[in-house]
Order: sequence, then structure tokens, then C-alpha cells
Amino acid sequence: MSAKQIVTLKINGRAREIRAEPTTTLLTVLRDELTLTGSKRGCNQGVCGACTVLIDDRPVRSCLSLAMNLTDRTITTIENLAERQEFAPLQRAMLEYGAVQCGFCTSGVLVSAFSLLRRTPHPSADEARAALSGNLCRCSGYVKIIEAVCHAHDEARS
Amino acid sequence: MDFYRPASLAEAVSLLAQHEDARCLAGGATLVAMLNANLVAPSALISLADLRELSGISALPDGSIKIGAMTRHAETACSTLLRGGQRVLSAAAQKIANAPVRNMGTIGGSLAFADPAADYLPALTVLDASIELASPAVNRVITIAEHVTDWYTTALQPDEIITGVIVPPAPDQAVGVFEKLERTAGDFAIASVALILATGKSKCKAARIAVGACAPGPVRRREAEAFIEGSNFEEAAIQECGRVLAQACDPVDDVRATAEYRRLVVPRLVAKTIARGRAMLGE
Repeated sequence: MSAKQIVTLKINGRAREIRAEPTTTLLTVLRDELTLTGSKRGCNQGVCGACTVLIDDRPVRSCLSLAMNLTDRTITTIENLAERQEFAPLQRAMLEYGAVQCGFCTSGVLVSAFSLLRRTPHPSADEARAALSGNLCRCSGYVKIIEAVCHAHDEARS
Repeated sequence: MDFYRPASLAEAVSLLAQHEDARCLAGGATLVAMLNANLVAPSALISLADLRELSGISALPDGSIKIGAMTRHAETACSTLLRGGQRVLSAAAQKIANAPVRNMGTIGGSLAFADPAADYLPALTVLDASIELASPAVNRVITIAEHVTDWYTTALQPDEIITGVIVPPAPDQAVGVFEKLERTAGDFAIASVALILATGKSKCKAARIAVGACAPGPVRRREAEAFIEGSNFEEAAIQECGRVLAQACDPVDDVRATAEYRRLVVPRLVAKTIARGRAMLGE
């Protein structure tokens, strides 16, 4: 296997020096090097969505992103979103609607939903379903997740 | 394994020529998934991330639209440069996987891998699109019909890079429709149908139809389209069109459906797509 190289990635507003091989994914860097374990390794094939992060503010799969390809990009993980005020309504809604069961999919769901709510603060159920169609949840049947996302910014709630 | 990020196309093709079994890294949506599963072990990865000239959609003087190989599905899905019948391509892009994957995957990467169930292939087939290739020796352009040569096999030479796709103007007043039968939203197609349709006085003026996911590459037959062109969309004509296309298919059993099911479903999917096209034309 190839030797590891030092590369610098901009993650959650900080420049982080990490060691990576050509095939090292961002997800591996986040979880195994930086212990940012909010992003989950589910399928490692880009299907389940549990590893979703923002790159340049767009949701992408960290398991399909190679670290060496990201040196000029801005990476944002669930750990950073969790510290932001604009994220709180979505978090509260997820709690209030009971949208979390085992929780494995939740961080990926939140990253996708956050990205949707920034563009569309009051999405229809169809818009929420479309935005979350790449996030698999095997517990819930999605109904409560969709409700939480649709109502995150309801005035009566905030 | 080495990782390269060439700054120019010339450098990229030269690196590709120097490294036997190297792979170009476009969006990563397929290649990195295969690396993760240990299905490929290239000698080098050549990232196309810094080749800005391969990104974006532009209108050419002759009315064609050029889509750079590194253009993401998300951009193709919402491009306003694709109009009328050309919308079949944006409709196909919109049906690929899900939003995060559409933010990553590229049209060049999709064509290079040439998954038989990939959504772009039938859409580009009805558009009579062509593919621009660069190599150290020569740049060439091939038609979409020449591109897929067998299951997961293309006309791409080992030292060639896909640089762009040329989408010619579609027939006047046409609509573009992409219909995809899938197990669940965002899955690869069980079968798909791309259609460009134009009518005048309720007669069909132009019909181009291609079936995806039912053969190594898209299936298009002029004799199938001839049943529709000039017709009043009589049920018998639509059935014959679907029958010819289903017969031309060469489907396999896979995790999504059996070959037999695909043969049965193709005529129905063709009829459904034509009905949608007519509805879009206001018939």
C-alpha cells in the first residue's frame, strides 16, 4: 500500500493536518483520525446517507470523497452544525416529533435537512421527501422525520 | 498507488498515458465506491478536479449545447440552456440517485463507467449526442451509439479522457420525457425510457425512443419509431412500437428484476412514456 502523506483539510472552520493515502476517504479521516464520529459509516458505498456532510455548503457523501481531492474545499460536519443557532429549531423539532429511534441515520438526515431548510424554510412533505431520499432510516418509516423537517420553522413552534 | 491532481488537460492525458491501469477520478460516486469495496485497484488515481475547462454547460453557435465532462448531475438537472426535447437530459439527471450523489457525480464519469442502467445513456441516445475524447495523440468525437460496445465496456481507449458531451438541437416544438421504473426512489432503473416527441394537428411529427437498463447499452430502433411517426397514436401503433423495442432488448436477471419481467414491462413503459409526452404537449 502507498505511504501516507500529510494533507491539510479545512474542516469545521479549522485547518486540520491529517495523514492520508490516495484511497483514504473523508469519512475515514473524520472518524478514525479526528474522532469526529457524528458522521456514520453505514454502507461505505454512498447509498445509506449516514455519512453525509457539507462540502462547500452542499450535502455530499463523505464515504465517496477522497481526502486528497479536498484540500481546497470547505468541509462542515454535524459537529459544527450542532453548535449553530440556526440549527436549533431543526434539532428541537426532531425531538418533539419523536423522529429519532436508534439514531444511526440521524446525523446524515440532519445534514440533508439543514441544507434543505436553508433554501426552503417551510418545505412541503414532497420537498422534504425528495431532499431526504438519499438518507435511509430502517427504524421509523420516515413519517415523523418528514413531519419534523416540515415543521422545524413553524412560527407556533419557534 | 499514486494520486495526481493535474492542472491541465494536457498534463492529465500525459499522466494517463504514462500509468498503465490508472483511473481518472471525476466525481467519485462510482469509482470511490468500487475502491471501498476492493473491486478495483488502479496503479494511480488522476483527479480531474482542477480542470475547470471540463466543467459547466454552454451554448454553441449552431444551437448545440456542450456539457463539460466534470459537470455535476445537479447542474445538468437544472440547466436552463437545455430546452424543449433537450429537457429529456435534465429529466434523466434529476432521476439519478439522490441530492448528495447528484452534487458529486459527473456526466463524464457516468459515461466512462457506462452502467447499463445509468439514466443518461438512453436520454443521450434519443438526443443523438456525441462524446468528445482527448488523448496524447489525437482528440476525437464519437457518437453515443458508438460509445457502449458491451456490458460495462466502452469505445474509450486506455489513454483517453472524456472531455465533454455535445447535445444537438432537438426537433422543433418537441418535448423530452424520461420515465424510470425503479424499486425505490433513486435506485438504478429496472427499465427506463427516454422519449423526444413532437406533434402537429394531433399527428406525431417526430418520435425518438430509447430503452435503458435492458441491454448492454440503450436500445433504439428506427422501425419502432416509424410506427409512431405520422400516426394518430392509435393503440395498435403504440403496441407495435413497444413490441419491437422489447424484442430488441437483451435483458439479464439481476437483483432488481428478472429478464422476463423486463421484457414484459418495456412495452408498457413505452406506452406510459408516450402518454406522458402527449400530455406535456397538451394533447
